[in-house]
Amino acid sequence: MTQLWRRRTLAALAVAPLVALAACGGASTEPADGAAPGSADCAPTGGPVNLSFTSWVPGVEEAVTLWNQQNPDIQVKVNDVPAGNAGTYSNLFNQLKADTAPDLSQVEYDSLSSFRLQNGLVDIAACEGVTDAQAKFVDWTWSQVQLGDDGVYAVPQDTGPMALYYRKDLFDAAGIAPPTTWDEYYQAAKTLAAADPAVKITHFPQQDANWFTGLLWQNQANLFDISGDQLSVTVDSPESRQVAEYWQKMIDEQLVATNLQGFSPDLYAAWNSGTVATWVSAAWGYSTIRDNAPDTSGKWAVAPMPQWTAGAKNAGNWGGSTTAVFAGTEHPAEAAKFALWLNTDPASLEILNKEGGLYPASSDAQSLPALSTGVEYYGGEQIFDVFKAASGEVDTDFTWGPTMTDTYRFLSDGFTAALNGQGTLTDALTAAQTQSVDSLKAQGITVGG
Amino acid sequence: MAIPVTAPQGSLTAAPAGSPPQRRAARRAGSRIWLVFVLPFAVPFVAFYLAPIGYAITQSLLRTERSGGIFGQPRTVFTGLDQYAAVFSDPVFLSGVGRMLLFGVVQVPIMLAIALALALVLDSAVARLKKVFRIVFFLPYAIPGVVAALMWAFLYSPQLSPIVNVLDAVGPRPDFLGSGAILWSIANVVTWTYTGYNMLIIFAALQAIPQALSEAARSDGAGGIRTAWSIKIPIVRPALVLTGVFSIIGTLQLFTEPVVLRLISTNITSGYTPNLLAFSIASGNNYPLAAATSVVLAMGTFVLSFGFFRLAQKRGWS
Repeated sequence: MTQLWRRRTLAALAVAPLVALAACGGASTEPADGAAPGSADCAPTGGPVNLSFTSWVPGVEEAVTLWNQQNPDIQVKVNDVPAGNAGTYSNLFNQLKADTAPDLSQVEYDSLSSFRLQNGLVDIAACEGVTDAQAKFVDWTWSQVQLGDDGVYAVPQDTGPMALYYRKDLFDAAGIAPPTTWDEYYQAAKTLAAADPAVKITHFPQQDANWFTGLLWQNQANLFDISGDQLSVTVDSPESRQVAEYWQKMIDEQLVATNLQGFSPDLYAAWNSGTVATWVSAAWGYSTIRDNAPDTSGKWAVAPMPQWTAGAKNAGNWGGSTTAVFAGTEHPAEAAKFALWLNTDPASLEILNKEGGLYPASSDAQSLPALSTGVEYYGGEQIFDVFKAASGEVDTDFTWGPTMTDTYRFLSDGFTAALNGQGTLTDALTAAQTQSVDSLKAQGITVGG
Repeated sequence: MAIPVTAPQGSLTAAPAGSPPQRRAARRAGSRIWLVFVLPFAVPFVAFYLAPIGYAITQSLLRTERSGGIFGQPRTVFTGLDQYAAVFSDPVFLSGVGRMLLFGVVQVPIMLAIALALALVLDSAVARLKKVFRIVFFLPYAIPGVVAALMWAFLYSPQLSPIVNVLDAVGPRPDFLGSGAILWSIANVVTWTYTGYNMLIIFAALQAIPQALSEAARSDGAGGIRTAWSIKIPIVRPALVLTGVFSIIGTLQLFTEPVVLRLISTNITSGYTPNLLAFSIASGNNYPLAAATSVVLAMGTFVLSFGFFRLAQKRGWS
């Protein structure tokens, strides 16, 4: 037994370098990644075309079925997958490397830049109808898909303008109005805690660095700056520090729950029992509360996001997706046509909103019947009016870096230390700043000051 | 192993039948029989084990360069051992390794002690109980790791766990997911899962002890504990060494439990274990660094388990 084990180990060690050498030989002959797909021409290929489309929007198949009925020459097949950060992005990156990527895929705004960096996206600006479609979308969503230059790298699908979900009953009982500024929010947290020490105003989710980024977005704390060929990292800035120091104060004074992970059963239990009183969240969050805190139906309300300066009107955005045409497709024109239809056609938008709960990026669709009536769970209030207003208040200049997965990871790691008292949120920003620079360098990108 | 193939007897009379080319062909065919036995193992072993390792080693020697601006053309260039230098100077990696060593030093001996104790008890139990308990103890290993971790996550949950509620009623509220406790909460899941598996290996070794040895010990006046200590444990030492090696490998590769518990605990960072760190780096598309991290982890695992093995041999444990 022991001898056999030893011999096998030695044999494996002896063989490994040979394989490595063979693989080395292979690597040098590997063709360079396909030339960056240009926007010079985008002619339809004609004839019957089959397209594959990766998405995780619930019910997207229904919209695609409708398309397939209307377009017998361009048939689309949906791959239903888990959400992007739940493994789909990793798969897509691997598929791009292996040249087996789909023709189109759902990609969130914050990941578009990463896909472009890996040469995964087609610039569809030259495809028919694309530039004309700009007028149909909320302004900031279009600047998000342009990625800081003249190209168009995806079609906006949905958005996550942020507002304040709060327990109206708890606020009423404590005699406080919904806070309009962050300072009032802090005071409200103290008032609620004074009435019942078990009640925290909200939870600080360690894994949801993209939530925190939404808060930064509201304060114009741009994480990255791209001008021409110059990329600078501005994760640690006066604006981001203002946000970090505020939430650090909330953590230090134990006004927020520090042991509840976002979207966890524990958080939902806390919502149901009324120990967490608010959630600063996106438009799509309405169904998260509705579906997971059924005991508190009729007790929640929605107010605009608290402001840094009284009277200001700034909203953050958390999440939202696009439909991107992937490099390697043989039919960019047909793919772009489908992407435009999916996200502008009234029938399609209605399906995506009804089945998938998407809050549309299309301006017209923000007046869909479902979005202009009262929502039963929220006491019959027309909560989407708040989000429609918020959508118009989102800063258009916010830029994502091409290695957001890493930046989010560094922020989350820093949050852990802040949440258990071994560091601060400002430390998290400082660390994420230097680590993000290293990540970009690892991708061969020169980072400016 | 190879069966010698001889020409048929009758061919002696027919002169050309045993001609040299034919005989060589026959010998070649015979000597190839071993392939039938080896290939089903060798092909997948090379394709899914050695080739990926070789690919990882290759990747770990590369670095990405880019020309033509931020979104310009990338190309990979040879960079020697730079990625390895980056791995060893990464405080996150080093603290992850430190955490795993602490975990292993505490968890592995405890788990193996329990496994040995259970195996000894089972070995001296009545035959009918043996079968039942063997299955009962082994059952946790049959549950997929993710499911086990999810189940324990529920039991650790501060809001939903019945255990937390009961303990809260009798004393201070426990925090299984806190920064100080989470490592040991993970250790508990691992112990729960693998104790039965290790017990089975030790138990099988105990079953192989000749009845005569135990009888001789008994007739010399040795009781149950004395027999276990002086006869049984020394004989099953090789099995203990084997389970020790397996456990060291398992510890350094810890991944599933932290990934699952991260969904409810705010205290598990992206580099909590070295394996998790390699995965996180790969998710950020930094394949060379992820490959170097993996190779270092694999070499570390190899050195530790082989070192333990050599130590055991030198001390005459196996």
